[in-house]
Amino acid sequence: MITVTNLTKRYGGRYALAGLDLAVGTGVTGLLGPNGAGKTTLLRCLATTLAPDGGSVDAFGLDPADPVQRTALRRRLGYLPQDPGFYPHFTAFDLVDYVAILKELTDREQRHAEVRRVLAEVDLTGQAGTKVRKLSGGMRQRLALAQALLGEPDLLILDEPTVGLDPAQRMLFRTLISRMGESRAVVLSTHQTEDVAALCERVIVMREGRAVFDGTPGQLAEVAAGRVWLSDTAPPASRVFWRTADGRYRTLGERPPAAHGTAPGVEDGYLTLLGEAA
Amino acid sequence: MTTSWHISDELRDRYLAGTLAAPLATSVDAHLGGCAECRAAVPYESAWLEASWGRIETELIRPRPGWGERLLRLGGVPGHLARLLSATPTMSRAWMAAVVAALAFGVLAARHQAELLPAFLILAPVLPLTGIALAYGPRADPAHELLAATPLAGPRLLLTRATAVLAVATPLALVASPLLPAPPGLSAAWLLPSLAAASACLALSHRLPVPVSALAVGALWLAVVGAGHLTGGWLTAFGPAAQVAYGLIALSLSFRLYRMSIR
Repeated sequence: MITVTNLTKRYGGRYALAGLDLAVGTGVTGLLGPNGAGKTTLLRCLATTLAPDGGSVDAFGLDPADPVQRTALRRRLGYLPQDPGFYPHFTAFDLVDYVAILKELTDREQRHAEVRRVLAEVDLTGQAGTKVRKLSGGMRQRLALAQALLGEPDLLILDEPTVGLDPAQRMLFRTLISRMGESRAVVLSTHQTEDVAALCERVIVMREGRAVFDGTPGQLAEVAAGRVWLSDTAPPASRVFWRTADGRYRTLGERPPAAHGTAPGVEDGYLTLLGEAA
Repeated sequence: MTTSWHISDELRDRYLAGTLAAPLATSVDAHLGGCAECRAAVPYESAWLEASWGRIETELIRPRPGWGERLLRLGGVPGHLARLLSATPTMSRAWMAAVVAALAFGVLAARHQAELLPAFLILAPVLPLTGIALAYGPRADPAHELLAATPLAGPRLLLTRATAVLAVATPLALVASPLLPAPPGLSAAWLLPSLAAASACLALSHRLPVPVSALAVGALWLAVVGAGHLTGGWLTAFGPAAQVAYGLIALSLSFRLYRMSIR
């Protein structure tokens, strides 16, 4: 459905994308990676807001490098940027309505019905008449998500969608995204490994502009198999560890003295993969 | 309960379509509440009822459109286009106040000292360029990244916003022109250069960021005026031959922009 081939993007002397190859189909795909790994650059290239320096993107048989095909692709995608700006003097309804016009929903009745639908999806019906500047951070994030849902896009691109959401809102978000992922392609980037574990059937870990892992969350967790330990006494200070809620110490890497192994999670696999625990 | 008066078919159709003015719709509502015969003639379907409630909800939560949007709608501009035009970032009161101030300054200077007439003519084409430079792009538009992935983003949205800028700046300059101490032909000599500069900026923005395009065209405009001054005086760049050239540039580039916008 979406194929990325040898994609490169350079900012000054640094490669944000260094010859990335990727294929994404129906379902929810999560992108994990440290800051500067190239996640946002990749999502911007997929969303057609950034032109790569080299390589190609093919989405539904459309090439975003061609202006006509780019417009055709934009008709099929919804995009939540990492830092969505707003017009603060617009109401929530007006902002989504404005994006709907830019998405070529010109019939007033149909457009307004669609705006009401997406606002209801993100539980913002009650705030529809509120000016954006009066909305909380979490509400703004949901508003940004609402505009991405307009027109039920075939490809949904979400850059750190859970930032600023409280636990209840994250549950709402998960429900919404998992439903979307049943019939369309959803690509999301996040720093929240629990979101990946809960939502994504596939996870891609990026580092320095390349994919260093591509598999299921379970497979990512397995990367840390035999490297996660619990002990009753604190490991040596040179090790990375933390105290868990039951008072024991959790360590990643080599086995500390008097520790026993435990099942790894997605976060353990991610940290092991990036070599940040040891 | 029944009454001797019943709503006409035409009134009922308009009520069902949601096109009745609010007071009349309220009267029809009140009548339907008391007249079983008329109520029976109104289709009652869940989809219809839902759509009606939706329209009411929308009317309640949508603020009244601004004066600019209302004016455009009154002028026959389709609602969605009026919305797009009126939401252009540079269509703010602050920008319009700046345009009025710049034009007033040009007129007052020319009236005070006739030699300053060219200042107005040189300034008038630069104002729309400034407006266009601030109408589109990541630096000018806080929601640029959000909108950049929509089908209308790019040349079509830029063209729409540039139209909004020109639609405000050009009439304001036209209002100011008769106040200049110059014959009508000369006082309107900024119009074609203005259109040529705006269309050149838009055409160039296909390859360069909009502010850079505006700066480049603005610099070129000043160079043309300067060259004219060196060869024959300040008004050389506003002579008949130059006007024909500006007209041709504006026409050909506008045609090219139109082609780009419908792709």
